[in-house]
Amino acid sequence: MTAVIEATGLIRRFGEIIAVDGVDLSVDKGEIFGFLGPNGAGKSTVVRMLTTLLHPTSGSARVGGCDVMTQAGDIRKMIGVALQDAAIDPLMTGSELIRLQAVLHGIPRSVIRTRGPELLERVGLTGAIDRRVGTYSGGMRRRLDLALSLVHEPQILFLDEPTTGLDPTSRQALWQEVRRLNAELGTTVFLTTQYLEEADQLAGRVAIIDHGKLVREGTPTALKGTVGAPTLRVEVDLESVALARTVMRGFGGERPSREGRVAIGLDEGAARVADVVRALDTAGVTVIHLELDAPSLDDVFADATGRRLEGSGDEQ
Amino acid sequence: MSTTAVAIGVGHSWSVSLAICIRGLQRLRARPVILIPTVVMPIFFVISFTGAFSSLTKIEGYGTSNIFNWMAPYAALQGAVFAGVGGAMSAADDIENGFFDRLLLTPGSRLPILIGTTGYSGVRSIIPTTCVLGVAALGGLELPGGVIGLVSLYVATAGLSVVFCLIGLTIAYRLRSLRSMMIVQVIGFSSMFLSVGQVPIDFLEGWLHDAARLNPLTNVLRLARQGFVGEMSWDLTWPGLVAIALMALFTGASAFRALMKLAP
Repeated sequence: MTAVIEATGLIRRFGEIIAVDGVDLSVDKGEIFGFLGPNGAGKSTVVRMLTTLLHPTSGSARVGGCDVMTQAGDIRKMIGVALQDAAIDPLMTGSELIRLQAVLHGIPRSVIRTRGPELLERVGLTGAIDRRVGTYSGGMRRRLDLALSLVHEPQILFLDEPTTGLDPTSRQALWQEVRRLNAELGTTVFLTTQYLEEADQLAGRVAIIDHGKLVREGTPTALKGTVGAPTLRVEVDLESVALARTVMRGFGGERPSREGRVAIGLDEGAARVADVVRALDTAGVTVIHLELDAPSLDDVFADATGRRLEGSGDEQ
Repeated sequence: MSTTAVAIGVGHSWSVSLAICIRGLQRLRARPVILIPTVVMPIFFVISFTGAFSSLTKIEGYGTSNIFNWMAPYAALQGAVFAGVGGAMSAADDIENGFFDRLLLTPGSRLPILIGTTGYSGVRSIIPTTCVLGVAALGGLELPGGVIGLVSLYVATAGLSVVFCLIGLTIAYRLRSLRSMMIVQVIGFSSMFLSVGQVPIDFLEGWLHDAARLNPLTNVLRLARQGFVGEMSWDLTWPGLVAIALMALFTGASAFRALMKLAP
């Protein structure tokens, strides 16, 4: 496989703050690469550097074989970008924006006359093309942003948190479109997200970033394999948490969990759940709620950072 | 999948500039209220100044006895300053709401972004100039310089609008905020007042006289006003054109430097 995105020792400082701290990554042609991390982890800063919107403080990066510092213009010809805050002018209509985007990327008018409606149809906006974008819902704006990023048929597509704030239906529709682009057109997709499910569902490979540093990288299956045992979460009375913790530690290593809960990696799997419940009962701990989860990317994140991802469930 | 052949060259640069200029006009059509300060303030100037100082031009030295002929070009240039600041404000707004990133992701040079925005300001200046002339015509504006005098006014207002747009863009690219445009408005007001806007230069004394003499806007005002206070003269035309060209060159270089610092 050929790497179309490569970064080596990428660092970006903003004054005293180090937003990105020595990131190395490689994304192969035709891959969907998930870049997972909580808010403020440095995902968008990495995207801005790879899309030539921001110079790295140090380190190097190549996109489509071109250097982000010296061949930025060449990179911009081959990438499509949908940034975190859908960069859409609310005073313009969908069709005006499509035409503007086509001019910005040097697409002939004759081409955009057919491609524009096709793109808008594909993202389900045909009926809204002559409406001002200010009247669109959040989901419609995101879909328009995606259509705009595809006007020049880019080889590499950067999607920065494309589904943040979307309802489940819109999210599913966007996922479907990303899968289609990748499968049918071979578009390489660099997708940042704070949603575990999104990375799990879409990405062939995932890198996890926290505090500007990559903490894990691999396929979702391989990453989950590194965590090993499934997580058993038990909710008990607040007064019984300490006792429950002591009992449960005998069945596996403790994992981060929310207040009032104790979580462990259950070493021998689901077969030991009954033993844990019996042990808690014997110790006089009343179990309010119990759940057993197969290893998830959240467990991988927790294993790597000691914290849960924001908004993804348990948080220490 | 292959990227559609993208033609990047001089033709593409002009297309991008034109598209950005047209986008500004589309925004105006979508929300005409944006134009209110640009149009209302110069009209207010022309009405209030001609009313308050109606007898001023009876004094010898103005070149005209018609107060509208003296004040209308001044008010039109005030409108041009507003139009220029308005163009820069749209760029500052784009920076704040993220749309500017879309422009920065355009392949090729950053220069068309600058040219498109300033071009939009120049075109936008036609609106206040025309409105001021319309209101002044109702008051009795005359045009001894004929059509050339009118063209001269439109060239001066468009030029000044471009210059103030470039000043605004320099500040917007550096401070990345819409609020920073207040600074440009202050620069616009003060530099217009420190010129021959209200009275001829011979009527000014002391530092005000020196400031007006050195102020390049004095030459721009003479260029704009000459067709309304007498016959057209090359001696009043070329200093105005040179002042606009030099100011545009200087502010353009400054804005481009700021843009390249914002997005190398």
